[in-house]
Amino acid sequence: MPEGLNINAVRASFFEALNSSKTLQELDDLRIKYTGKKGDLTLLLRSLGKLPKEERKDAGQELNALRDEIELQLEQTGKKIRDSENEQQEIHERIDVTLPERGRTCGAFHPVIQTMHEIANIMQGLGYSVATGPEKEEEFYNFECLNMPSWHPARDMQDTFYFPDGTLLRTHTSPVQIRAMLQYGAPLRIVCPGKVYRRDNDTTHSPMFNQMEGLLVDKDVPFSVMKGTLTEMLNAFFGRSLKSRFRASYFPFTETSMELDIECVECSGHDEHCRVCHGTGWLEVAGMGMVHPNVIRAGKIDPDEYNGFAFGIGLDRMAMLKYGIGDLRLLFDGNISYFMSGFGGAAKC
Amino acid sequence: MLVSWELLKNFIDIEPIDLTPEELAERLTFSGSEVEGITYTAGKMRGIVAARIDALEQHPEERKYSIAHLNTGTGEHVCITSAHNMKAGDMVFYAGEGAVLPDGTEMGTRDFAGVKSYGMMLSAEELGLHDVDDPSGLLILPKDARPGDNAASLYHVGDVIFDVSITPNRGDLLSILGMAREIRGLYPKSMLKVPEWMRPLKQDKEWCENFGSISLPDKGCLCYRLGLATGAKMAQSPLTAKIDLAHLGMRPIVNAVDVTNYIMLMLGQPLHAFDLNTLPEREITVRAAHTGEHMMTLDGKDRALTERDMLITSGGEAIALAGVMGGEQTGINDDTSTIVIESACFSPVRVGHTSRRLGINSEAAFRFSRTVDPALSRTALMAATTLMRDWCGAVVDYKPLSAENETYTPKPVKLTRKKLSTYLSWDNMNEAAKILDGFGIVSVGENEFMPPTWRPDITIEEDLIEEIGRFRGYNDTPDKLPGEMPRRADIGSSMELASFIRKSLMARGYTEVVTYSFLPEDFPEKLRLSPDDIRAKTLTLANPISRDQMAMRTTLLPGLLMGLRTAIASGWREPVRIFEQGKIFLKDDEHEHIEPDHAAAILYNGSDTRSPSGNRTEDFYSVKADVEALITARGYEAVFVAGHEPFTHAGQTANVFVGGKNIGYVARLKPAIEQELDVSGVYVFELDVSGLEQAKKPEFTPASSFPASFRDISLLVSIDKSNDNVMKDIRECVSSDGEITLEGLRLFDVYVGKGIPEGFRSLAYSLSYRSHTRTLKDEEVEAIHNNVRESLKQKGYVIR
Repeated sequence: MPEGLNINAVRASFFEALNSSKTLQELDDLRIKYTGKKGDLTLLLRSLGKLPKEERKDAGQELNALRDEIELQLEQTGKKIRDSENEQQEIHERIDVTLPERGRTCGAFHPVIQTMHEIANIMQGLGYSVATGPEKEEEFYNFECLNMPSWHPARDMQDTFYFPDGTLLRTHTSPVQIRAMLQYGAPLRIVCPGKVYRRDNDTTHSPMFNQMEGLLVDKDVPFSVMKGTLTEMLNAFFGRSLKSRFRASYFPFTETSMELDIECVECSGHDEHCRVCHGTGWLEVAGMGMVHPNVIRAGKIDPDEYNGFAFGIGLDRMAMLKYGIGDLRLLFDGNISYFMSGFGGAAKC
Repeated sequence: MLVSWELLKNFIDIEPIDLTPEELAERLTFSGSEVEGITYTAGKMRGIVAARIDALEQHPEERKYSIAHLNTGTGEHVCITSAHNMKAGDMVFYAGEGAVLPDGTEMGTRDFAGVKSYGMMLSAEELGLHDVDDPSGLLILPKDARPGDNAASLYHVGDVIFDVSITPNRGDLLSILGMAREIRGLYPKSMLKVPEWMRPLKQDKEWCENFGSISLPDKGCLCYRLGLATGAKMAQSPLTAKIDLAHLGMRPIVNAVDVTNYIMLMLGQPLHAFDLNTLPEREITVRAAHTGEHMMTLDGKDRALTERDMLITSGGEAIALAGVMGGEQTGINDDTSTIVIESACFSPVRVGHTSRRLGINSEAAFRFSRTVDPALSRTALMAATTLMRDWCGAVVDYKPLSAENETYTPKPVKLTRKKLSTYLSWDNMNEAAKILDGFGIVSVGENEFMPPTWRPDITIEEDLIEEIGRFRGYNDTPDKLPGEMPRRADIGSSMELASFIRKSLMARGYTEVVTYSFLPEDFPEKLRLSPDDIRAKTLTLANPISRDQMAMRTTLLPGLLMGLRTAIASGWREPVRIFEQGKIFLKDDEHEHIEPDHAAAILYNGSDTRSPSGNRTEDFYSVKADVEALITARGYEAVFVAGHEPFTHAGQTANVFVGGKNIGYVARLKPAIEQELDVSGVYVFELDVSGLEQAKKPEFTPASSFPASFRDISLLVSIDKSNDNVMKDIRECVSSDGEITLEGLRLFDVYVGKGIPEGFRSLAYSLSYRSHTRTLKDEEVEAIHNNVRESLKQKGYVIR
């Protein structure tokens, strides 16, 4: 081994330099100084040839080992320095993640339309298809087919908007029953959601509101299936099992007819000053009954062979109950400030 | 309808005898007659008793006051009043010291100019009995009152009044008698009874005054009967009767009129009392009106009639609109002494038509249109004449005059075990027969039942089942779900699309709203729609509530603008992004209309656009992105073409085409309309979405595993030439030799300014070339791209 090129001295000086290297640049300089074309180690390797043959092998192995060690050390130290530099960089680039998001925030649903879709989906799960019909309807479908001829006092219950040609804005979704029976025949299971109109405007009535009609026509349909269907639908919609009760009632298009009350969703009957049920503990949510044979007949289905049941629920009322809305008229003024602060959306935008 | 607990007791002995009004109300409610309220008429009344005025003297100082010395049976009381209608010996109601009035007022002592008054003597008003007596005077009691008797137990002062909602099929329940029958059905051990004044009366004397004929040429008058009362004296009705009338919501007038109202409330038969001497002739004809005929009704209104209306005439003169309302001149007056009482029955169809058409909802019309028992007219007339005798002192033993047409007779209805069992999951036929019997529906043979004359609503088997069902209640029936259907349930394409659109727009930051389908009549003018625009030809309601809700919407835009206005008015300064989906109403021609499903939205940056990340700058292109996203996600390509709408910005409007069909627009609102709303920068879109209902199946293109090569190109283009046209030209310039395709073409810069001549702009595009079979060599791409450049030059483009 030539004088002055002591391997141990090279190793020692490398580690000394490595320990004092703080940047990637210094590290690179170090790499050039030792393993570069004119680096100390490279020169040593080149000088191997000058060694006597018997020493050459051992010295070569020793030098190669040192080169591998230097390269490994350079890589490891480089990684450490990069990690540390990145860490510093990230600390430097820290932001306040609670600043507002850029661009748009999410919108919000309308409670009544949401209710409409939710209930249609529940009913689809029970085998009901969605049927639709026109909102501008004929007297024939809206009243006459439903056992309500023009002189019938039941018409007093539904104050109607008319057009000059004698057609009208449907007062309920029931005419879709007739249209669906005529179109599809029996057996039949449908729900008909949509807007309906009555000539009524006060704190508890809007001239436009939303209903969903349900109709099942089949052979030997018992009342118990209607009861089970409504119970299932309401429990699914409100997300819990609610007490319910049926009261006898009257609709011209059903015989027998009844109304359904559910336990107050607000107080479950425990608050005599409840603003929702007014202390009765019960809420009226649906009207229903076994379809009147005349109505089945109007749908061109033989009432001796088929029977069925129909029900109607007020979607606005259901939405108001589920989402705790007090004033019906707020639902239709299109005011975003109300919906954004009330339903899902944030008041900021 | 109001029902009195005290009066019910005249018609029924209820079993169980300890049944409370609340229990009865609940039973009625569950069986179909909803009790909406129960009123205890005595209210908080306590300690009020009958008292005799033993002596009366004038107040020594104040002449307007009288000092009464009262005897209540338990002592003497001194009481001062300003009333003048009493005299010594009269019986009055007295609320002594500590007594409480129905409204909760507690009595004390009061000094009247040096004389102490212990409590007070009461007027009818102070007892809570409105309209029963002169409110400025004391209520003078009949002579049979006994000093010390509790007021609440006298003359029905303390009654329980039920407010019952009677469904339109149950005209028979519009009377105390009818309610008693219903209660008997619901509590079958109860016994019906007949009040004293309904007992048969011997009436066989010929009329003392000659009366001609009753003729009924109109079959809509089922029967018509007249009773006679002579020597009647017009006076007030007995106190109990007046209180009963008041409790049932009718104002006592004079005994002869009160009789007719009382009988109607008790039995359900509308009656009419004439003064015989005001009849034009002693003859009655009930006939159809002639179209164009007019009549002045009791309420002073001139009514134009049609041949579906029925008139009661005398000597050719119309005296009443049959079953609906009387005429002006035949009523009872103070001098009346000879009274003719009319008890008739009219067709519910005819009365229903007339009262609905003319908007007259009189007590009579209300009852006749819900059907009055035709068998009732005879009984009611007899009862009315009995009361004319009792209340007016009249002579009434005259034979009634009658005429009849064919009338309704009940027919038997069959009940089968099968249907009963299907409907109610219960089939005890014996029990069923007993239940029906309770309601007066009697067994007349093998499973055959005859409804009574007052139940014309019972005509089919289901009606019988309903009687049984409402008696038994429905709550014990088990819950079941329907079996399988031969086809799957389909949510329907319009519902599915609506669901997709609302979820997409919500995720893109829009809030869903619902606005009214009817708009102010002048909305087309506000939108600058020309009269021949289909959206200006609105369907208009014949009977709107107001002019603001009159015309059916032909576009969703006005509703959204209304929402924007409301939001701003409520102090909202944030962005407004709202959308609505719904039907619009388009009139094709005179008799046709269509209701397409529309979706529309507006976007407004808000009045305060400051934000830490720079001012919000949403514009036309933001809304365009929303529309494009909706359409693309349904599998369709949206094409935007510069267009025009009367209510949008002339330079910032695009029509949206899908499959070559114009389905709507994206635009900025017309600045003039923005100014009307006091906002700036409102962007809107409205689409007819019916064409998007069937989502198009996307075409599958496998991705290439070979890299794409990118080249940029910058073109100097006249500002009149649209980006779409330039892109079309570029695509045309790529030779389609199959293997290498122009996969992507993207505009990345638009530049106007220094170095660009006036009337031009620079458009810079990035093009990506790719092969699906190999990696492209640089030279190949260069060659193709050069060809594109050359071809574009040939098309006249200047390449920068």
